[in-house]
Amino acid sequence: MNTLTTIRARRSGVLPLLVLIPLVLSACATGPVSPQAAVEVRSKLTALQNEPELASRARVEIREAEEAVNLAEQPLSESDAELAEHRAYLADLRVEIARARATARLAEAQRPRLAQERDRARLAARTREANQAQSDADRARSEQAVSAADAEREARELQRQIDVLKAESTERGIVLTLGDVLFATNSTELHAGAGRNLDQLVDFLRQYPERTAVIEGHTDSTGTADYNRRLSLQRADSVRNYLAGRGIAGNRLATAGLGEDRPIADNSTANGRQQNRRVEIVITHEPELGSSG
Amino acid sequence: MNCTSTGRVYRYVWRGAATLAVGVVLGACATTAATPTNALTEAREAIFIAQESGARQYARAELADAQNYLAMAETAVVEEEMATAERMADRARVTAELATARTEFAKATQINREMEQAAKALREEMQRTGDEE
Repeated sequence: MNTLTTIRARRSGVLPLLVLIPLVLSACATGPVSPQAAVEVRSKLTALQNEPELASRARVEIREAEEAVNLAEQPLSESDAELAEHRAYLADLRVEIARARATARLAEAQRPRLAQERDRARLAARTREANQAQSDADRARSEQAVSAADAEREARELQRQIDVLKAESTERGIVLTLGDVLFATNSTELHAGAGRNLDQLVDFLRQYPERTAVIEGHTDSTGTADYNRRLSLQRADSVRNYLAGRGIAGNRLATAGLGEDRPIADNSTANGRQQNRRVEIVITHEPELGSSG
Repeated sequence: MNCTSTGRVYRYVWRGAATLAVGVVLGACATTAATPTNALTEAREAIFIAQESGARQYARAELADAQNYLAMAETAVVEEEMATAERMADRARVTAELATARTEFAKATQINREMEQAAKALREEMQRTGDEE
């Protein structure tokens, strides 16, 4: 018992030991030899030997511990109890030394892997940063490119549509001029053949549903201004009705009868008067660029 | 007998100059087999090595134990308990070796811990920047 106490005292510092040693020395002189200390040290050593990761790294120290334990296990007479305790104590220290050495070497052996992990993490962090910056730039660039390309394509398409309509883009909007061929003289009824020209307008308005149109009727100066205004409005309404009949919402279409007020050619010639008899369809520009997207 | 009386004389001097006393004792007792000169020398060397390795910082308790055992060994020499002196010197030496071993162990694991923490910090940092995205 005293032997054991002494060995344990080592862990709690030396002061108790200083007190105990003389006690042990005197007490154990006549007491029985306790094999317990050696048994305990042996089991500690066996535990260490059963950990291959450690045991393989401190072969010399383990051999020294083994020798110390073997010595501690030597049977001694009762009068040598103190020596038995001393040997067990040294054996215990040897096992502790072997374990500390082995663990330190295991830690050293793990270091390349840790360094690799750290370097990998460092590299990943840097790569990520770089990629982040790169992809940010790429994304901005490609978004820009895409939107530029889109805008260009849309503009081209619009122009193509305008060309199909034989319209022209003006400050007021896209102006499509339909000649008097749509109507018979003094008639507000559309010619049967007028549909083809207007159907292209229907397609256009379907394709650009956010656009609205003002349908303006114009006449030459023949006849009274009132009559001409009424005639021009009725013709504009005819066009509107046609478009509405083809599925264009009525609220997108406004009409105006402008009569003879806005000639585009000389009313004194037949050719000029023919040019003045017309329906203009003014399609609004897109209210806001890109709002359709 | 001569040795014994010499030891008694130096007993009073010891508290002030233990090392010197031991040296003198060793010289004085050279003819008797009792004084564990080698054990004491090895113990002092082992303690010196432990101190050099950094045991004051990393294995303070073990180093203190070793020094106490050495002091006990020196006391035992003065008291002419030579068997005890040798055992205490042995304990001092092996305990000092343990102090050195534990110092190396503590240093090695500390380095590993620092490396692990560095990697962990980087991963966490990356995690954070990843979350911000």
